[in-house]
Amino acid sequence: MAKKSILHMFDPTPNNSPFDINMALDCNFDVLMPYANVKLEGMHRLTQDTIFSRSPAGVKQTGIFIGGRDIALAIDMLNTAKQAMVPPFEVSVFADPSGAFTTAAALVACVEKELKDKHNKTLKGCKALVFGGTGPVGISTGVIASLAGADTVLIDHLSAGTANDIAKEYNRRFGSTLSGTAATFDKDKIELIKEADIIFCTAKAGVQILNEVVLSHAQQLKVVGDVNAVPPAGIEGVQLNDLGDPLTQAINSEGAVSVGALAVGNVKYKVQHALLDSMLTGDKPSYIDFRNAYAKAKELLDL
Amino acid sequence: MSKPFILHMLTTAKNLSPFDVNMAVDAGWLSATPYTNVEASEVQGLIQDVIFSRSPKGLKNTGIFVGGRDTKQAMDMLKTAKNSMLPPFEVSVFSDPSGAFTTAAGMVAIAEDALKTKFDTDLKGKNIIVLGGTGPVGQVAAVLAAKAGANVRIIGRQLEKAQRTADMCNEEFGDGKINITAGGDADKEEYMKTTDVVFSTGAAGIELLSAELIASAPQLKVATDVNAVPPAGVAGLDAFDNGKAIAGSNSGAVGIGALAIGNVKYQVQSSLLKRMITEDKPLYLHFEHAFEAAREYINSSK
Repeated sequence: MAKKSILHMFDPTPNNSPFDINMALDCNFDVLMPYANVKLEGMHRLTQDTIFSRSPAGVKQTGIFIGGRDIALAIDMLNTAKQAMVPPFEVSVFADPSGAFTTAAALVACVEKELKDKHNKTLKGCKALVFGGTGPVGISTGVIASLAGADTVLIDHLSAGTANDIAKEYNRRFGSTLSGTAATFDKDKIELIKEADIIFCTAKAGVQILNEVVLSHAQQLKVVGDVNAVPPAGIEGVQLNDLGDPLTQAINSEGAVSVGALAVGNVKYKVQHALLDSMLTGDKPSYIDFRNAYAKAKELLDL
Repeated sequence: MSKPFILHMLTTAKNLSPFDVNMAVDAGWLSATPYTNVEASEVQGLIQDVIFSRSPKGLKNTGIFVGGRDTKQAMDMLKTAKNSMLPPFEVSVFSDPSGAFTTAAGMVAIAEDALKTKFDTDLKGKNIIVLGGTGPVGQVAAVLAAKAGANVRIIGRQLEKAQRTADMCNEEFGDGKINITAGGDADKEEYMKTTDVVFSTGAAGIELLSAELIASAPQLKVATDVNAVPPAGVAGLDAFDNGKAIAGSNSGAVGIGALAIGNVKYQVQSSLLKRMITEDKPLYLHFEHAFEAAREYINSSK
């Protein structure tokens, strides 16, 4: 009898995300096993318990998923898991804390697609702002955009120090060239937005970050992407299903278009689905993080 | 291919109840995923992760169960869950902390049926005392009986705590339309002079109503007991009793034991878990739906 497929879901927080549970079961994993409050120190042992309890044929039907809220920790857990493998006792590991990697990958790829289709440009050389830039999705978005060549700024709603520290930390880890700043009031946002080509909005759900007045100050805005699905939108005028629809609020930026949360969500969903699926169908074990997610998102959008 | 049935099970406690997990899987849910130590502030985030990871069609095969131990908290979490939905991204939610909603519903519905079949009457205007009534089952039984028109008194060891519980029930679950009162254990004898129905909902293995008190009651009609561990909460009552005359009652009262109640509770919880799967639109289920389901089950099994 064929072995049942098992996904071991390691999470440093008190509970797994229901999002990941739904996704994993929809990807044909037979059994999901949640592990909450997992510490980095525990990853080595958990990984070896995972690989040594099945034959090399059985481990092909076994995977590890890493969740949580902290993307640096998730990457460390992924690396620890990788080091704990003893080939041929080896399984695929997929890190996607709070869905941040797949969401950010989908967001950047969707925006890039509109940039290419509507403005015939690539990310290289564009000036990109990430509002809500110090949360998991914001940081991941920033790192991906920066590595793709955009001059990218992480924006915190309160503290420039926080944004700067985070930018430096992730630059060191991944070789990106992020900078950080704060924008609390409209006048701060107006100052930043004047020369922006791209705006990513990854702030808290249900909070409007950029209103019509702020948007009217953008002089060369080309594409905005908003991942907030709970009204009001993070960027005024962005509709959930927008995918290259005109952003008329940016009155001084001709041809500016927007990408809404459900359009991003649709690609995110496909990316996560494809990556989970690859854990069961791939020839050899893979280690999946935001880089793989971005590559998959680009592939799905023919970029 | 249709999406697998996933029930996300939230509890404020350290662990889920294996009772609820067994029930969920037997009702047709393929996966029962636990979320433990959940705080009220985390409910909205969890709900939105549930609803945004499947299409509206897939969400029909997705549900949320709220457990825990506290009735008010479970109702608050149900409300928060409902307010966090963004139709058409919406799923059914069923609240049943410690099984209290379905247990109380089963107990009150059987008592109501016994009143009808043995005494040709109903809950309206009956004097009911709820022994050990400060716990979750007692609270909900009191609310259901009061809503059906009974005069309900919650009895506790400490009068003050019983009063707080009664106030909470009236305020949180009664919409200002019910007036549950409170009493202390010490005055049980006095209350028994006018009591029609006793719900015994105390801790397992503790007798709350003695043979002497039963004998002293001039108009007692029905006594129920959710305690399945000997000694019974109501003296002389067997866990299997279901409308059997209580030995020593001078008013011809009948008894309903824990296993008779447990059977209805089981059917009710199972039917509500199944309704979450079969009904086309999202449901928000709590003790009132459990009570309707208990009445339906009792009528249909005749």
